[in-house]
Amino acid sequence: MPLTRKPPPAPPAGAGPLADAAAIARALADGNEDERWAAARAAANLPDSVPALKDALAGETSAAVREALFSALARIASPQSAEAVLPLLRSDDALLRTRASDALVAMKQAAWPYIAALLRDESADVRVLACGMVREMPSERAAPLCCDLLDAEPEQNVCAAAVETLAEIGHASALPALMRCAQRFRGTPFLEFSINTAIDRVRSQAITPRA
Amino acid sequence: MVFGEPKRYFVERRVVERMLGTHSGSFEEYFARLRADLDREIEQFVNAFTINETYFYREEHQLACLTTDLLAARLKVKARGSPIRIWSVPCSTGEEPYSIAMWLLENWPHVDEHEIEIVGSDIDTGAVELARAGVYGKRALMRLPPSVVDKYFAFDGDASWRIVDDLRHSVLFTAANIVNRADTVVHGKFDVIFCRNVLIYFDDISRRTAAENLFENLLPGGFICLGHTESMSRISPLFDVARFDDAIVYQRPSR
Repeated sequence: MPLTRKPPPAPPAGAGPLADAAAIARALADGNEDERWAAARAAANLPDSVPALKDALAGETSAAVREALFSALARIASPQSAEAVLPLLRSDDALLRTRASDALVAMKQAAWPYIAALLRDESADVRVLACGMVREMPSERAAPLCCDLLDAEPEQNVCAAAVETLAEIGHASALPALMRCAQRFRGTPFLEFSINTAIDRVRSQAITPRA
Repeated sequence: MVFGEPKRYFVERRVVERMLGTHSGSFEEYFARLRADLDREIEQFVNAFTINETYFYREEHQLACLTTDLLAARLKVKARGSPIRIWSVPCSTGEEPYSIAMWLLENWPHVDEHEIEIVGSDIDTGAVELARAGVYGKRALMRLPPSVVDKYFAFDGDASWRIVDDLRHSVLFTAANIVNRADTVVHGKFDVIFCRNVLIYFDDISRRTAAENLFENLLPGGFICLGHTESMSRISPLFDVARFDDAIVYQRPSR
């Protein structure tokens, strides 16, 4: 039989131990791509490495290493790691913005204190991303944030993002704000359609008996 | 693993099963046992929550893709004589790695020209033991042609069939949690990884960690096959999408 069974080969020895934030900072700053990748992954277990991770994100050219940097910050999930990622929501690079948003979503509670401010950010792109981040919050906290936004938001696309989130979290308290938004944007077919769909979903979820 | 409200009944059933299995008189008593890891209860608890429902030649189109496209692509870049390594993780009770082995033996004309290593790994140590034993009921065999059953199984009595020893001894089974890098890195680098229908059960952080672990376990240019409802693009940008006639899979960039 051509199939063989052997113990797995020993993994190659690394460049050296990455046991502290200083070693990680050195590897992130001066290492080759493999060393930077290994440092970013090891950093996930060392909250002290957040400043080095933040510095590395600013200049990292490898997409793979950048992803590992985001993951490390997401796994650390502290106020410091959230604050390291937040500025990247304004990056000119769409992929960077999206991965920053994904990292904040993955941080869950660590990112929640910042969401209300992001929903009032001067950039509509940031407000759209923040609408996606609200989704991870408990619906009792998420619904009022989206409703406040719907009452004041001038941009259709941002409203659409908030409506989509409300349709997903399905909190009945959102119905009045959804209706007011529909009134404000009467004559905007795509938003009217989104809002009507969300209202239907919220209503259907509100009357579904619990199993 | 994340279990939302719709999975409450599933969770309750598993907890009750473990309470009965440990003769715990109350949840408090069971919880104390779990926290103390008495008689390796944490492992038993994890085993109770993993899902081991599968069958041979499941998602056969990916097996077809393996022999039609993936191995050919790997051979173009591999050093002559280096083994082809395939990892099935999680492998549950072994149906997938044995399927890969049988499929290669039956459908890949070049199978005798190469050294092929197939490894099956699962977090559920009970499932790994069953995989090593290689005994299956009729339902697991339902997709296999009779000729394949005749060739690779021996009737074991009591409506069960045992994988023949030659095949059983050709697949290496190990315990591994794909979210734990210490578990994954020791398995070395693979040409193709089958990681089907598990990432959907993880939360965001665990999915990212698993994706990065698997990325490390793939050789540059190696492929990863997910379940048909799963998309790596939604989890991580580390992999490229690779579209073939039989399947869409993901590929570690060559560099």
